[in-house]
Amino acid sequence: MEQIAFIFLSALTLACALGVVLAKNAVNGAMCLLLCLAGIAGLFVQLHAYLLAFILVLVYAGAVVALFLFIIMLLDMQGGQAWRFRPAQALAGFAAAALLVTGLDLIAIRGRLGGGPPVGQGAGSSLKLYAYQLFTAYLLPVQVMGFLLLVAMLGIILISRRISEADPSK
Amino acid sequence: MTPTHIALSVLLAPLASAALITLLLGRRGGLASAVSVVAALFIACGALWLAFGGDRFTASWEWLRFGSFAVALGIKLDDLAALMLSIVGVVGLCVHVFSLGYMRDDAARARYFGGLSVFMFSMIGIVLADNLFMMFIFWELVGFSSYFLINHWRELASASDAAKKAFIVNRVGDFGFLLGIILCYWANGTVSLSELGAGHVVYSRLIPLLLFCGAIGKSAQLPLQVWLPDAMEGPTPVSALIHAATMVAAGIYMLCRIDVLMVPQARTVIAWVGTLTALYAAMCAITQRDIKKVLAYSTISQLGYMVAAFGLGSVGAAMFHLTTHAFFKALLFLGSGSVILGCHHEQDIFRMGGLRSRMPVTFWTFTIAVAAIIGMPGLAGFFSKDAILVLAFENNRAVFSVLAFTAILTAFYMIRLWKIVFLGEPAGEPARHAHEGGISLTAPLVLLAALSAVGGYWRAYPRAFDGVFSQIPEAGGATHAIVLATSLVVLVAGAGTALAYYATDGGDTLERRSPGAFRFLGALRSSFDTGYDFYVAEVQQRAALVLNFIDVVGLSGIVVRGLAGATEMFGFGIRALHTGRLSTYVYWFLGGVVVLWAFAAGVL
Amino acid sequence: MTPSLDAYVMLSSALFAIGFLGVLVRRNTLVIFMCLELMLVAATLALVAFSRFNGTEDGDVFVFFILTVAAAEVAVGLAIIVALFRLRQTIQVDRLNSMRH
Repeated sequence: MEQIAFIFLSALTLACALGVVLAKNAVNGAMCLLLCLAGIAGLFVQLHAYLLAFILVLVYAGAVVALFLFIIMLLDMQGGQAWRFRPAQALAGFAAAALLVTGLDLIAIRGRLGGGPPVGQGAGSSLKLYAYQLFTAYLLPVQVMGFLLLVAMLGIILISRRISEADPSK
Repeated sequence: MTPTHIALSVLLAPLASAALITLLLGRRGGLASAVSVVAALFIACGALWLAFGGDRFTASWEWLRFGSFAVALGIKLDDLAALMLSIVGVVGLCVHVFSLGYMRDDAARARYFGGLSVFMFSMIGIVLADNLFMMFIFWELVGFSSYFLINHWRELASASDAAKKAFIVNRVGDFGFLLGIILCYWANGTVSLSELGAGHVVYSRLIPLLLFCGAIGKSAQLPLQVWLPDAMEGPTPVSALIHAATMVAAGIYMLCRIDVLMVPQARTVIAWVGTLTALYAAMCAITQRDIKKVLAYSTISQLGYMVAAFGLGSVGAAMFHLTTHAFFKALLFLGSGSVILGCHHEQDIFRMGGLRSRMPVTFWTFTIAVAAIIGMPGLAGFFSKDAILVLAFENNRAVFSVLAFTAILTAFYMIRLWKIVFLGEPAGEPARHAHEGGISLTAPLVLLAALSAVGGYWRAYPRAFDGVFSQIPEAGGATHAIVLATSLVVLVAGAGTALAYYATDGGDTLERRSPGAFRFLGALRSSFDTGYDFYVAEVQQRAALVLNFIDVVGLSGIVVRGLAGATEMFGFGIRALHTGRLSTYVYWFLGGVVVLWAFAAGVL
Repeated sequence: MTPSLDAYVMLSSALFAIGFLGVLVRRNTLVIFMCLELMLVAATLALVAFSRFNGTEDGDVFVFFILTVAAAEVAVGLAIIVALFRLRQTIQVDRLNSMRH
């Protein structure tokens, strides 16, 4: 049962990932990304990381992709340029990607992973456990994240403001 | 003041004079000439003081040291040096005083006197040098002074060419000289003349012959005699001082200095070179029109006599003839200078004539000089030439006969010159209005005439020069009689023929009556120049063009511009990496990751 | 039967490679950005898989941070792209090559 779910979800994810890469229209690409994220969320659930699945859908699919869509609509409306298929470039890219996969897999499966059943419950399954970890062992990174978000916000405001000021001249 | 100090001041006084003239007195001709003449006077007095004061010494200071090799500068004052120094001093003073009058109207007087002072410094350096390196340094300096003074009237292309020719031909000889010095150092471990004279010397045939190359260049022997006639482009006092009395005699002096290195085979070669030079130059002198060129060939011929005398084995005879030659040849040149000035810078003898009544002092002094050179008994030249003929008669009959024949030719062309210039009627307007120069022109003439007359009685010289003059060969009964008879016959034959043959009007009698002989002698004269021209134009020029090609294409092109081009290509390559496209940079990231993987996997 | 860890890792690396391919090949800046997000998500998947199979919670917690950073990065990046668009009127990467040479 789990295998089937896994195969279905992974097929969905990979197909949508390819869709993001190959879609001519950027909006179509964004939609594919959305579905891809849904597949990933499903995989998270299968790995007992329920909180993370939820957060993924909420933050990533909900906010980030929405933001993407906004910007695509804003900028790409002059009629998206068709993506011309250039064989040489595609081949080079494919080769690079293959190299990457090979490398990653070589490093990752360097004989140390033999499989073996999952151990324990996984922290993501229990919210309480998760929160406990977040606020004790990983408190500092949490604070730093807060700081990071603050800085990002400020940066965005600054960038946007400068442009609007310079707007009349351009 | 010790003798060392006096010698040093004699050496450095002309240098100070030259420095003063160059730095301060460039425009003030009168003051410059006065400074130079004072320096010459000081040199003459100092030289005579040293010579007759009797002190003979050597002094040396180390100048450069490279490990075990040291170059020293030093003074070696022995009888030979004292004699040469006196000659240089006295003749130098006469020429300086003569120049006061001769160059009075010249615009670049200051430069001229500066050059004369530099020359005196260089010449005294050669005379006093105590080792071959120092002599070589001053040798080159003398060559430079000669170049500078020949080129005095720079605006004339002929003067510049003559100066270049003199310098280059001398340089060829100096190359052999330098090789000889290096070989001498290598073989003997020293170039100091005192050490060579005292210690055990390695005898080789090559070293003295290479050193003789320097004398071939400087003293205008065959085959490097081509520069001396052209050097007459310089002012006449320069010709008198440098190209008659002192500089060209430096070659002979150098040979006498290295007498200790000589081997019999080298001496034979030297003797024959001198003899052939004497003959060749005498033949060339017969057809010359220019008064100075006649005297130039005469100088070459007499230098040949001196070289032959040295080659036959006697330093004394060579130096004796050098002494007397200095006096009468300087007198001949200065006299011709007086004539040239009197005829308003006319140098062609066939436009002169009849100057006997118009320039009496010049006429009588010139006559004494001519008599001396052709060997009139009683005058200086007679004794010195006699000594050489005795030497030749005793050692090498072939050389004796050639030298005797050359003496006939000497008398022949000198009487020709004398007759056409001074006797007969004036051939042109300038000669008609010729007049004697001032006291500064005539006084040196008289002094030199006196010396030419009495200079031959060497026993009358103070003991000072015994080291040299005692080596003059004395002839025994039969030899003496034969040689005496020979010289008298030679004198009468040459002089008498010339007096009778040449008419004083209408140009060159030889040219008129036997044009074949005239042309032959002319071709003889120009043969050397033609040969050198051919060599330079064909052989040397080709070699130079090949080297030029290698330089331009190989060095400048391939090496220099090639390296620059390679660097440029490298820069191009690196520049191409900045494509500005995002994907390129991502590929580079991938490359970096691969390298890191390789590290991690232990491959690199 | 849960799928083995290898399967999850290979899936993650395949996703990563597809994202990488997209970054190399596409010319639209926004699409490149989306592929970038794809790569990030692939990394999170691998992390969660490892944490599940090892029984630790470090992987999960780390994913939390990754998500946060990704969100911030997207926001800032899109703001820059908008600013660039205002300046250059284009978002095609091959036109944005003022760093050439």
